[in-house]
Amino acid sequence: MTDRILAALKKCGIEDYLLTVTEEESAELFFIKKELDMQRRKKVRTASVVIYRAFEEGEQRFRGTASVKVQDSQTEAELCRLFADAYYAAGFVKNKYYDLYEGTKEEPVEVASTLADRPLAETAQGFAEALFAEDVREDVFLNSAEIFVRRYTVHILNSRGVDVAYRKNRVQGEFVVQCVDGQDVETYQDFAYNDWNTDALREKVRDTIELTCARAKAKNAPAAGEYRVILSGGYVNEFLSYYVSRSASSMIYPKYSAFAVGCDVQGGEPEGDRINLTMKAVVPFSDEGIPMKDRELVRDGKLQLIHGGSRFAQYLGIEPTGIFGGYRAPAGEASLAELKAQPYLEVVNFSDFQMDSFTGHFGGEIRLAFLYDGEKVTPVTGGSISGNIFEAQKSLRFSKELQVEKNFEGPKAVCMDKVSVAGA
Amino acid sequence: MKVKQSEYLKEIKPVLVKLRDRLLEEFPYASLLAQDSTAKNYSVSKTSTGIQMDGLLAGRGFVAKVYDGTSYAEYSFNELSEEKIEEIVTAVKGELMPMSDRLPEGVRKSCYAMLADDVLVFADSTEYELDPEEYGDEKVIEQLTKVSEAGRAYSDKVLDCRAFASYQKCSKLFLSKNRDMEQNVLWMCGGVVVMATRGEEVKDSYRGFSVLGGAELLEEIGKNVGKVAQNALDLLESEPIPPGEYECICEPGVTGMIVHEAFGHGVEMDMFVKNRALAKQYVGKQVASELVNMHDGAGAAREVASYFFDDEGVPAHDTLIIDHGILKAGISDAQSAMHLGTEPTGNGRRENYERKAYTRMTNTYFEPGSDKVEDMIASISYGFLLEDASSGMEDPKNWGIQCMVNIAREIRDGKLTGKVYSPIVLTGYVPDLLKSISMISDTSALCGSGFCGKGYKEWVKVSDGGPYIKAKIRLG
Repeated sequence: MTDRILAALKKCGIEDYLLTVTEEESAELFFIKKELDMQRRKKVRTASVVIYRAFEEGEQRFRGTASVKVQDSQTEAELCRLFADAYYAAGFVKNKYYDLYEGTKEEPVEVASTLADRPLAETAQGFAEALFAEDVREDVFLNSAEIFVRRYTVHILNSRGVDVAYRKNRVQGEFVVQCVDGQDVETYQDFAYNDWNTDALREKVRDTIELTCARAKAKNAPAAGEYRVILSGGYVNEFLSYYVSRSASSMIYPKYSAFAVGCDVQGGEPEGDRINLTMKAVVPFSDEGIPMKDRELVRDGKLQLIHGGSRFAQYLGIEPTGIFGGYRAPAGEASLAELKAQPYLEVVNFSDFQMDSFTGHFGGEIRLAFLYDGEKVTPVTGGSISGNIFEAQKSLRFSKELQVEKNFEGPKAVCMDKVSVAGA
Repeated sequence: MKVKQSEYLKEIKPVLVKLRDRLLEEFPYASLLAQDSTAKNYSVSKTSTGIQMDGLLAGRGFVAKVYDGTSYAEYSFNELSEEKIEEIVTAVKGELMPMSDRLPEGVRKSCYAMLADDVLVFADSTEYELDPEEYGDEKVIEQLTKVSEAGRAYSDKVLDCRAFASYQKCSKLFLSKNRDMEQNVLWMCGGVVVMATRGEEVKDSYRGFSVLGGAELLEEIGKNVGKVAQNALDLLESEPIPPGEYECICEPGVTGMIVHEAFGHGVEMDMFVKNRALAKQYVGKQVASELVNMHDGAGAAREVASYFFDDEGVPAHDTLIIDHGILKAGISDAQSAMHLGTEPTGNGRRENYERKAYTRMTNTYFEPGSDKVEDMIASISYGFLLEDASSGMEDPKNWGIQCMVNIAREIRDGKLTGKVYSPIVLTGYVPDLLKSISMISDTSALCGSGFCGKGYKEWVKVSDGGPYIKAKIRLG
């Protein structure tokens, strides 16, 4: 397929291109309670081609692009017509000129993984066993679950020497735990692992079972007012994503974000912890073929890096880093127990927590939270929190305990003062 | 004009027929769904213009569904020729089917009957005025550029205006022992986002547009850019709302979000199978004001989620979900319907041929009523007009509401005061909100500019909407 596409590009006289060929196999299991409801396999090969066109109008120089999806079933004539149409279309895309990323041919990379040598079906079975290992009670159980075991190879080539490839294995999925002890409630969880982390999945199921039992006991919403709020689990990731998003070159060049290297992203003199973040390379090469490596993003509240692909990097005159798929934050100094020594509202499950990277507003409806009034801890449900990071970042305190989430490694919890809660 | 049949599907159909017949030699039931679609995204902003194929929506591929006498299994692939038929059959028999041989202790295979397969031979296409492929990339970009420039010129406080559009032209073929169905569907959608700035803070306002048709939509986008820009400027002057329960008027976009997120997900009957939806206990009971009638269906409206048959070969329906406040029925895919002993409603939809079919909404809406919008506003002594639906999340299990809107316009003594509050989180219990509906406008609108996920994945095109509604809603 790759050779056919390259030959067609040459025949059409396309000088600049980026070709990505992806081959993927998967094994998928879908469970409803303790029954396998459906089994699926997938074997597909897809290719996408970005056609570049340089042109001038008056004294202005432009770089246009148009992308197309290529199928194995397309004939040479169809490919040529597709590429010629895309080249024509690229002539209407008047983006400021930039050069394609220049690279070299590299040896294919097998992303190290303990899943690499196992048949997909065997991996699916192993994770299914881990999933159901803790499902032993009648009052709280797995309501449903899905497991996707994927093995994929990505080959990236461009007209400026890039010729790189990698192979990766991943297990991902989701499950719902239902508790019928008292109130009938449920908790949704997703998961993703790059290794044979069946113990981690088993622990996640166990934790979710405990959390769901707690939710079954929660009856009332917290009263409306301002609270010292603790966010935990994946919500720490979502909260910190504001800084990752605002420091992207695609946000900075159009002036959607005023972040600059060296600027204090936390604003002024915070009373709480300083923010530290490191961008994490989750694949060996970016979509453009840029070799990826971990890069420090924020040190003690000061921005160290503007990250992104080659186009906006050239516009800003900075080094392209490639687009990252994850990040990590270091542990804080306070233990969870210390964070919980004063009254707090710890939200462990939202229906959907959202951080708006433009406005800095964050919020969500509370599915389960623990309210400590200084005397006792009460599980609560309902109502919503609503805050703004410009205020919240003055008082952040991160937990000493760490978590490894999907594409995020960092503190298990973050605490902030004076967050508004709309009660029931 | 009718959308034309895919040439590729026409050519490959004899091979698909051979593959189906070969699978039927091995299994009591086998079906094939073939998809060939082109899809493009266009975008213009101050610093960036783009023309891209849509990786999610574009592509050619197939999914084979087989039944072994007990349960169902699927194999997705995208390379097919006469020579590959035996390779595919071997993969189905040798790799797919043994996956259920070794299950965790205490877990067994589901036991289903065989899917209904009465004779259905069918071919039809949707209609359009302007084919976006024939209209051409140049004209699409030219029109979006005008919209983007108009938005940026609206005020010096406008930071940027992004105008965008997408289309999908999708042909599908469904083959089973007794079914031979073909459909060709074209939709186009688009929108405008205007960003306005004051200091470090950036506020944005969005409006979407959609049509079951083609590039004739682009004119609509241009007509509304001024209104979106003004909303973004209004947001710069907004302040947080004091939490509380208020009388509210919801514009059709907000009504649509309530219909879809707060209630619609709860009547997806695969959730009934899993006992994950409270609605299961409320069939035949009052869940909304008597003024409320709610529909879903690919055949219920002409919008972006319209089609003739679903991804399991079930013809499109118009399902009356709420009839004068009484919950009458849910919507379902074929397998869930079999599980529940009900009829499938043509709601079995896949993100694309690579994914499983789930029960999914299509075009979901409340019927219009008889009230005038101005009378509805005049009826409120203190409350808000809610506009600019931004996001929502379902909670079928508990019927909790989480919807966010960008704009709450203050109403005092029956008049809009000009004061704007933002952002707004709607919370509460779904039936409480729906039962509080006291007025419904005689005007109605549907929009399908976005996608709907099942949880956090499986994106499909949907539309939702309805009339302006008056209800008591908790805002925060």
